[in-house]
Amino acid sequence: MLEIKNLHARIEEKEILKGLDLTIPTGEVHAIMGPNGSGKSTLAYVLAGNENYEVTEGSVKWNGEEILDMEPDERAATGVFLAFQYPMEIPGVATMTFLRTAVNAVRKARGMEEYSTPEFMKVVREKANELQINPEMLKRPLNVGFSGGEKKRNEILQMSLLEPSLCVLDETDSGLDIDALRIVAEGVNALRSEKRSMLVITHYQRLLNYIVPDRVHVMADGKVVRSGDADLALELEETGYAEFGGKAA
Amino acid sequence: MDLPVQQFRSEIEQELLDSFAALHDALPGAQNDRVAKLRSDAMERYASLGLPHRRIEAWKYTDLRARLGEAYPMVRPSGRPIDQAEIEKGLGPRVANLDSYRVVIAEGEFRSELSDVQALKEAGAELRSLAETLEHLPDDLGPLLAETGEQRSGFEAARPTGRSGAGPDPIIALNMALMTGGAVLRLGDGVSLDKPVHVIHLDGAGEPVSSVTRLIVVTGKGASLDLIESYAGLGGRGLQRNALTQIVAGADSHIEHTKIQREEDEAVHLSNWLLTLHENVRYNGFQYTNGGELARNDVRVLFEGEGTVMNFSAASLLKSRQHADTTMVIEHLVPHCTSRELYKAVLDDESRGVFQAKVIVARDAQKTDGKQMGQALLLSEGAEFDTKPELEIFADDVVCGHGATSGQIDEDLLFYLEARGIPEPQARALLVQAFVGEALEQIDREPLRDALTGVTADWLGVKLD
Ligand SMILES: Nc1ncnc2c1ncn2[C@@H]1O[C@H](COP(=O)(O)OP(=O)(O)OP(=O)(O)O)[C@@H](O)[C@H]1O
Ligand SMILES: [Mg+2]
Repeated sequence: MLEIKNLHARIEEKEILKGLDLTIPTGEVHAIMGPNGSGKSTLAYVLAGNENYEVTEGSVKWNGEEILDMEPDERAATGVFLAFQYPMEIPGVATMTFLRTAVNAVRKARGMEEYSTPEFMKVVREKANELQINPEMLKRPLNVGFSGGEKKRNEILQMSLLEPSLCVLDETDSGLDIDALRIVAEGVNALRSEKRSMLVITHYQRLLNYIVPDRVHVMADGKVVRSGDADLALELEETGYAEFGGKAA
Repeated sequence: MDLPVQQFRSEIEQELLDSFAALHDALPGAQNDRVAKLRSDAMERYASLGLPHRRIEAWKYTDLRARLGEAYPMVRPSGRPIDQAEIEKGLGPRVANLDSYRVVIAEGEFRSELSDVQALKEAGAELRSLAETLEHLPDDLGPLLAETGEQRSGFEAARPTGRSGAGPDPIIALNMALMTGGAVLRLGDGVSLDKPVHVIHLDGAGEPVSSVTRLIVVTGKGASLDLIESYAGLGGRGLQRNALTQIVAGADSHIEHTKIQREEDEAVHLSNWLLTLHENVRYNGFQYTNGGELARNDVRVLFEGEGTVMNFSAASLLKSRQHADTTMVIEHLVPHCTSRELYKAVLDDESRGVFQAKVIVARDAQKTDGKQMGQALLLSEGAEFDTKPELEIFADDVVCGHGATSGQIDEDLLFYLEARGIPEPQARALLVQAFVGEALEQIDREPLRDALTGVTADWLGVKLD
C-alpha cells in the first residue's frame, strides 16, 4: 500500500506540492488528472527520489516503509518505478547495456541471481516482442533518435523488465498513436496484479478506457482536490478543471 | 662543435646540450656523415630554440621549461630478457595480449629477438632496427630525418615565420639529435597485413632515465596497415620520453593508427606524430592518454595528395595532477581532402587537459572539409580544460568548423539511471564511459576498441561483463 501524507515539496524556493494526501491500496490502479502545472510530474519525481525537489514536510510510505530517506536506486530496488514523461537520451550507452545493467543491479539488490548475458537476451527479446519493439533498436544508444512513441514503449519495456511493485506512469500515453496506445496499455494491463499498485498520470480519458482505474483523483495547485471512481474521468472530460480554480484543460 | 651562444639557458637546457656533446660519437649512425650532420644541425636548432615555454603560442598551456627540472641521463640498454609477464604488467593484459605482429623497443633499443621480424617479412612487410638503418641511410629517409616540424604553408598572408608556434620544433630537434633506437617499417605496394603491427615501447626499470626513440613507417601504393604504438614503464623511478613517429602514407593506402600511453605516474611523455598523406589515403588515427605526470602529444598532418580523408580522435583520462596536452597542426596543401578531429578528456581531481588544433587551408586547397571538436568532462572542481581552435583559411571554397564543450556529469541523466536501480557510482561510471565511448567508437577494429573500453572501465573501477 502507498500512503502519502501531507506531502510538501519545493523546487528552487517555489512550493509545488502543498500538503498532498493519497492512498493507493495494494493491487489497485489509481489515475491522477489535473491542469498543467498542478504538480503531477513533481509528485512522480518526488516518489522516485529526484533530489532537485526538496521535501519539506510529510511522509511517503510504501508497504509500511518510509521511502523519502532512500536513494533513487534503493527505491527502485524496493519496487518503485517511474515511467518518465520525458525519457532521457543518453548517447554512448547502448540501450541493451543500460537494460542489463539496470536489471542486474536491481536483481542483486533484491538478493536474486544476476542474469547471464544469454539469459538476459532471451528475456528482453520476449518482452520487446510483446511491446512490438524492434530488437535492432536496442542496439542503439538509449533513446537517442527514438521517436516519441518509441521512447514511451521503451519505458514500458523497462518497467516490465524491472518488475516493480509500484508503477508510476507520467503521461505515458502522450505522443502515442492509436495503435501504440493500445500496445502500451496492454503492456501495462499485463503487469496489473493484486501485488502491484499503479499510479497513472494522464490528461486523456481515452487511456482510462484501456487501463480502467479503481479510483481517479484530481490534482490542482499541489493537492488532491477531488477523488472518485472511473466515471470522474468522464465527467472531467465534459467540465474541465474550471471548478478547481485551474485553467480549462 | 660550435653552438651559438645564448645568454640565458636553464640548467636542463644546458644538460641536454652536454649530453649530446658527450654522446654524439657513440650514437647510432655516427659513422654516417649525413646522419652525423643531421644530428648536429638538429642540436644547433635546439640550442637556438631552447625548451618550449608558455610564451610560445603552441606551448601556451604547457610550459615545458618551467615543468622540467633536470634532464635524466639517457637510458643504457641492458639487453636483459623481457618476458610476457613484464609486458603485461606495463601495458595491462588487455593491451598486451592484442593479437598482433609484435615489435619491441625496450630501453631505447630495438629488440629483434622480441620482435616478429621474420613473420612480418613473410607477410610482405620489412621491419628493421632504426640504429641499423642509420648506419646506411637509404635515400628516401634523408628528407624524413630533416623534418623540423615547421609549418609548410599558410604564409600567403606574409606573416612572420613561427608566429603561431609553427616554426621548427625543439622537441623534434632533440629527437633527431639524440635518438638511440626505434624501428623502420615498410609495406610494399598493395601489401595488406592480416593482423595489426603492435610496437611496444618499454622503458625505465630503475633509476630515472630519458629515452629517445623514433618509428618510421612508409606504406606503398594501395597498402593497408593497422599500427598500434603503446608506451609503458617498467616500474622505474622516473622517465622522460621523447618518441617520434613518422608515417608516409602512399597513394590509396589505408592506415589505422593508434597510440596507447600508459606510463607510470612520474613519467614525462613527449610525443610527435608527423604524418604525410598522399592521394586517396584513408587514415584513421587515435590517441589514448592515460598515464604519466605530463604528456604532450603533437600531431602534424600534411595533406599532400587529393581525395584523402583523415579522421583523428583522442581520449585523455586524467586524475591527480596529471597534465596532458594534445596539439595539432593540420595542413591542407591540396584540394578535396577531409580532416576530422574529435578530442575527449575526462578530468578528475586537479588534472588538466589541453586541446589545440590548428587547421590551415592553403590557397590551392579548395573544397577542403575540415571539422574539429574538443570536449571535456570535468569530474571535480579542481580540474581544468583549455582548448584553442585555430583556422587559417586561404582558399575560398571550403567547409571548416570547430566546436568545444566543457561540463560536468548531467544530473538529470544520472537521476534517470539511478531511478532504474543503478547505484550512483556505477551510474556515474556509465556516463563517463558513454562520453569516452563516443571517441572510442571511432576505432575501426573491434578487438582494439574492446581493449580500450576495458582499460577505461578499469580506470573507472567498474566491472565489465
Ligand atoms: N526546475 C524548476 N524550476 C522552477 N519551477 C519548476 C521547475 N520544475 C517544475 N517547476 C514548476 O512546478 C510546477 C509544477 O510542474 P509539474 O511539472 O509538476 O506540473 P504537471 O502537473 O506535471 O504539468 P503538465 O501537465 O504540464 O505535465 C509548474 O509551475 C512548473 O513550472
Ligand atoms: Mg507533467
